[in-house]
Amino acid sequence: MKRPVFFAFALAATCALIPTAVVGPSLAATTKGPAAGKTVKVGVIADVTGSAAVYGVQQKDAYELANDDLKSGLLDAGGANLSFDVEDAASDGNQVANLFQKFTTDGTALILGPTLSGEARKGDPIAVAAKTAVVGTSTTADGITSLGPCVFRVSLSEAQVVPATVAHTKAVWKYKTAAIIYGDDNAFTKTDGDIFKTQLEKAGVSIVDTETFHVGDKDFAASLTKIKAAKPDVIVLGALAEEAEKIIQQASTLGIKTHMMGGNGLNSTKIYDYAGPAAAGVVVGAAWSINGNYTGNKSFVERFKKRYGVEPDQFGAQAYAAAQLVAQLVKEGKATKDEMCPALRELRVAQTVLGPIAFDPGRDVSAAPVILQIEKGGFAYFH
Amino acid sequence: MVGQQLVNGLFLGAVYALFAIGYTLVFGVLDILNLAHAAIFMLAAFATWSLLGAGLPFWLAAPIAIAGAGVLGIVLDRIAFAPLRRRAAPNLIPLISSIGMAIIFGAIARGIYGPDERQFALAFLQTPPLHAGPLTFTIVQLVILGSAIAFMLGLAWVMRATALGRAIRAVAEDRVAAALLGIDLERTIGATFFIASALGGLAGILTALQYNSVQIDMGGQIELKGLAVIVLGGMGSITGAVIGGFVIGMVETLAVAFGLSEWRDAISYGVMFLILIVRPTGLFGKRSLRTA
Amino acid sequence: MNVLADFYAAHSKLIDQVGIDALLALSLSISLQAGQLALAQAAFMGVAAYISAVLALNAHWTLLPAMLVATLCSTIVAGLLALPVRRLRGIFLAIATIAFGEIVRIVANNLAISGGAEGLSGIPPDATTPWIYGTLVIVSTGLWFFSRTKFALAIALVREDESAARGVGVDVGLVRFTTLAIGGAIAGLAGALYAHSNFFITPADFGFGRMEQILVWCVIGGITSPLGAAIGAALLTILPEAIRALADYRDFVNGIILLVVVLFAPRGLAGIRLGKRR
Repeated sequence: MKRPVFFAFALAATCALIPTAVVGPSLAATTKGPAAGKTVKVGVIADVTGSAAVYGVQQKDAYELANDDLKSGLLDAGGANLSFDVEDAASDGNQVANLFQKFTTDGTALILGPTLSGEARKGDPIAVAAKTAVVGTSTTADGITSLGPCVFRVSLSEAQVVPATVAHTKAVWKYKTAAIIYGDDNAFTKTDGDIFKTQLEKAGVSIVDTETFHVGDKDFAASLTKIKAAKPDVIVLGALAEEAEKIIQQASTLGIKTHMMGGNGLNSTKIYDYAGPAAAGVVVGAAWSINGNYTGNKSFVERFKKRYGVEPDQFGAQAYAAAQLVAQLVKEGKATKDEMCPALRELRVAQTVLGPIAFDPGRDVSAAPVILQIEKGGFAYFH
Repeated sequence: MVGQQLVNGLFLGAVYALFAIGYTLVFGVLDILNLAHAAIFMLAAFATWSLLGAGLPFWLAAPIAIAGAGVLGIVLDRIAFAPLRRRAAPNLIPLISSIGMAIIFGAIARGIYGPDERQFALAFLQTPPLHAGPLTFTIVQLVILGSAIAFMLGLAWVMRATALGRAIRAVAEDRVAAALLGIDLERTIGATFFIASALGGLAGILTALQYNSVQIDMGGQIELKGLAVIVLGGMGSITGAVIGGFVIGMVETLAVAFGLSEWRDAISYGVMFLILIVRPTGLFGKRSLRTA
Repeated sequence: MNVLADFYAAHSKLIDQVGIDALLALSLSISLQAGQLALAQAAFMGVAAYISAVLALNAHWTLLPAMLVATLCSTIVAGLLALPVRRLRGIFLAIATIAFGEIVRIVANNLAISGGAEGLSGIPPDATTPWIYGTLVIVSTGLWFFSRTKFALAIALVREDESAARGVGVDVGLVRFTTLAIGGAIAGLAGALYAHSNFFITPADFGFGRMEQILVWCVIGGITSPLGAAIGAALLTILPEAIRALADYRDFVNGIILLVVVLFAPRGLAGIRLGKRR
């Protein structure tokens, strides 16, 4: 090598070493748990590309933030070498299966994900057969945790959130009739619509109109015109944010002023960003509030925003909560595949950005849903 | 309510019509189904968004993006279709080639913009809706309707009254004869792609305005719907694409109005299937059935 | 031996996927050999997948009978489709079959028995690697023998020049019907195997996206060569896993590979190997 090149190389190498020297001492600032020094691999299966990328990218961002926080000591894993290995399943069922197989055969201690309930139904059985524990952070359909004795969930399902949403809103708004509009080709939105229908009917509300749409639809004028003509007291949205925001805005354009409510899918600040004042007052039954005061939530939101330039949504928050949960388990000394499942089962409580969480006997998260109301700048608690 | 539904169908149809014109033009001239058309539709909308973000006013950003879409169409032809023409490949191959380009365009868009939806921060999008009696609609919807009609008329004029239009029609009719008559094939084909892609880009920008939404997946649904439109209207017929667009838009809206919203898309595809069985040339197409 | 066992344990799902995808590619290849651009394989696959899954879940049938009944159904559906589209050619046929495929998907989405958008879950994983590759071997052998018959010659003739084929007395309608039906049968086998190795099926598994994939495999591998089609399927199924290190660039690479093969090897990979034969 020529002289100048050699010096440049040496300089670069030295510069690369300095941060390690600086970070070193701060690692020592975390506590030393029973698993100190051990390497704990946690596999994350997320749809970073493909049709579910909008959710998968939030999840990946949350885990990479968690990786940073582990290095800097903000997340304490008791001195163990814990890292989250995020792999992209590209919203492709085949890749989901392959990733599950990879993580169950390469010494991974625990699997987090996948992004969609349908993917969980395809992939969790592989983990179950290999006795590797799986923790879902965004799978909210029925029957996921019953796939196996080591399948857990930190995401509140629609079945857990909707009854509370209906009860609260009926008490305040006192509606007698409702119209439901929901997506019929997506497992989440369809379940959402079905559960709302059941709960409303149980509460003595009569459904005066039901409309369906497809994922990716942008034009809801036809359905909304019908809903308007049916004059319901409340409109229910079984939708994810991308469609919900347009339904809300187009409803306003058509002059619909009825109360609106929805489930987990509406827990995103994108809705107000898109629909503006038309979105104010929409009630959302959710698992997390961006303004919530829970352990590290405000700091998490700030750091996420600073690093990625966008706010975290519920997908990101639930992913980060899983990371917090795992860090807590590793700090207690759980490092291998065989230790994770019993540890999760015996968990008393984990303090996360979602609030304190634990698992019920069915391995679903036991946490209280929050009933929020969209307003400018975020969400308020619904009264 | 029926009146409002008819109005809804009209505006939905205008969007379909604009998209389908570009689709049908390329098919009419080259017998190619260009599955990258939807990707250009999407890229033009993003280009406009980026230009607006860079500070350009809308009346400058949109035309630049539309022209850019046209150029991209020429590039698409040069890379993915022209080499195959020289080789006289069967029609299936350019189709696959266009799929490859669509994937590449999509990957580029995802790399630059990510999967999140973007909005336009334009004042005129926030204007309150207009009313005509019991009917409600927005300015943007009127603009889209006006553009579809204006461009259809403009294109019809180009096709009938200009030398380029005559050349395009000649190439569509019989490529060999056109070449013998001295028409520059490659230039005419290039011009066809420019026009078709520019129109596709325009459709993308107007659609993005209509729903205030720019997103890398935005071409997905309209790609298949566009197919239904051009089959109904007659593949290769511009008038057919426009009329077909409005018919499909109306059919879909009325399907929802009559409580068949789950079957909405199935109805459009069913119409498509029936037309192909009963009258493959569609409403206005002149092409006879061709072998693969 | 241990190395092989370990490799299998770590990659058995991928190996199974390759087998099923090869079957799908073969099913389309038959139609393409007759020059028919009939793009309904994904729908045939879906019909069989759902029927075999419903039989297994609701009536507790084992794999073989469920698979056979399901394949019979998909073959019948293919035969029924052949009737209305018998006069369509080229891109018109392609579009009609795509439309058919989408309608099938929407029907599956709206019926209660198919579970709607929530799909069917908990399908017993009976289709293990021996089943998949056993089927593949049987189908391939059958196709090989078939390719030696006079009927196969008729098929090739219909592809090369349909009017000439008619001229020498070939029943073009019968050729098209048969190739579509055989394609429907093979896709049906693949569909049943898919359902019984994936635990869960949903209508979206059998839509236009899947159809595009199968088409791409055939084109990459070589339209007129079933072996090529199967190899194309194998390569492109393995590809996303092989280039996993490229993370976000995988899509891009996918598109480039497609383009490069199409532009520089129009006869597909099989064409490269066999040289300039036809």
